[in-house]
Amino acid sequence: MNFSLIFQTLITGLAIGGIYSLMAVGYSLIFSILNFSNFAYGMVIMLASFMGYFAMSKLHVGMGIALFLAMVGAGTLSFFNERVAYSSLRKRHAPPLYFMISAMGTSIFLENMVYATIGSQYNAYPQIFAVPTIKIFGASLGKMDLFAIIFSIIAIYILNYFIQHTRTGISIRAASYDSTVAEINGVNLGAVIGLVFILAGLFAGISGVFLGIKYMAYPNMGWITNKAYVAAVIGGLGSLPGAVVGGIILGVLESFVSVYVSSTLRDVFSFGTLIIFLVFMPSGLFGKYLEEKV
Amino acid sequence: MLNIDQINVFYGRIHALRDVTMVVEPGRVVSLVGANGAGKSTLMMTIAGVLKSKTGGITYEGKPLEKEAHRVLSQGISLVPERRRLYANLTVRENLLMGAHLRKDKDGIQQDMEKMMNLFPIIRERLKQYAGTLSGGEQQMVAIARGLMSRPKILLMDEPSLGLAPLIIQQVFDIISELKSQGMTILLAEQNAFQALEISDNAYVLETGKITLSGTGEELLNDPRVQEAYLGVKAKAIEHV
Repeated sequence: MNFSLIFQTLITGLAIGGIYSLMAVGYSLIFSILNFSNFAYGMVIMLASFMGYFAMSKLHVGMGIALFLAMVGAGTLSFFNERVAYSSLRKRHAPPLYFMISAMGTSIFLENMVYATIGSQYNAYPQIFAVPTIKIFGASLGKMDLFAIIFSIIAIYILNYFIQHTRTGISIRAASYDSTVAEINGVNLGAVIGLVFILAGLFAGISGVFLGIKYMAYPNMGWITNKAYVAAVIGGLGSLPGAVVGGIILGVLESFVSVYVSSTLRDVFSFGTLIIFLVFMPSGLFGKYLEEKV
Repeated sequence: MLNIDQINVFYGRIHALRDVTMVVEPGRVVSLVGANGAGKSTLMMTIAGVLKSKTGGITYEGKPLEKEAHRVLSQGISLVPERRRLYANLTVRENLLMGAHLRKDKDGIQQDMEKMMNLFPIIRERLKQYAGTLSGGEQQMVAIARGLMSRPKILLMDEPSLGLAPLIIQQVFDIISELKSQGMTILLAEQNAFQALEISDNAYVLETGKITLSGTGEELLNDPRVQEAYLGVKAKAIEHV
């Protein structure tokens, strides 16, 4: 066994896992409050990736500012995604299927809008580190990977603190359990849902830029963002710790399969895992609801 | 004073409340008695702003009630919903904080939290536990405390005795008497007619969406129709007819 290769594979896996976690957290936030999978979220991530790309290659700003711009842009986009595509359904108490259809429509629209305006080519981000790797324990590790791991941890830690300890955070958790009672307790549900979409958008911004740096920005990036959905299902849709754990498991699994089995089989393993979870453990590792006692 | 004037509420095509008119005066305990499906919860949810009436209106202190649930609370009307509906994924303490969601006075909230723990000693022991792990009776105490945390002027209580053991039901009614003696205005929906009527100043009987009887608690307790239908007393007067 080659220790440095295992270490290197692990770090790469953790970096991808960190990005999957960010995306899965966004999915899960929205799922937990509206109870449907927002497939338009992948397009918000794709557009964030383009925002980061244009900021860096056309405005020539550094990665930090590009990240900031992409977060603001994706947050705004995500907010309007809800106001335009879902809020009227919500007010009419439409079943989740209607939300999914609206999400798919939004998703198709956004993807094709990018094809029509920007084009279908792959857009590589400018180089970020002059020397992209560093040597640790004989393993050659991507600096961007390490940065992605650290940044993901910080972002998720801040979000978790906000959700667990602030008044607004508690009201988000309350509304995700029982939105009617939350309203009776004085929670302005429309505002809370808007905030949840903005938070999910901020995470889309971070993951969009990281994905773009790793894999380039292109209109059908959506297939990668489906991995976020896989991660969310593994962890248990609607659960934030589940999203993080699911993302990391998926990232590390993929990275090891690519290195030790075959990179062409990588997606077979990921989507195979999705099917196994959907069949045998549909509520994932950390299901959403604690049982209610009557 | 809460004035409900000729409201009609529909669930799709089902006419759930028909021309319901009632009054809740300050400092009084008013109970709403009726069987399952009579419309008690519908009325409670309508007052709380969750359901909308098609015609008629509700006013509180002369002003029409707000249309949205989260604004109704800011007018001082707080609902303890049927089946408790605690946030099972939140701790007991967080459930109480949710009750005080609209308040900004941190010290006041802390004082009220302390008050609730004195009123319901079980809350002190369970403060850090998830609400979903509590027994039904404990959950009811937390639900009432959560309803009180907003410092309401009117407390709406929807079937607080539902699904509880007799001993716990007695505790719930003791709490209601205690709140009454503190001057709280309460609108109480109950199937448990006898105990509800006993502590009520006024009461209404709701049957298939309509108010069929009203009066003081005592009048209804002694009304043969109420005794027959809700108290399990076979009225002799009717037997002889």
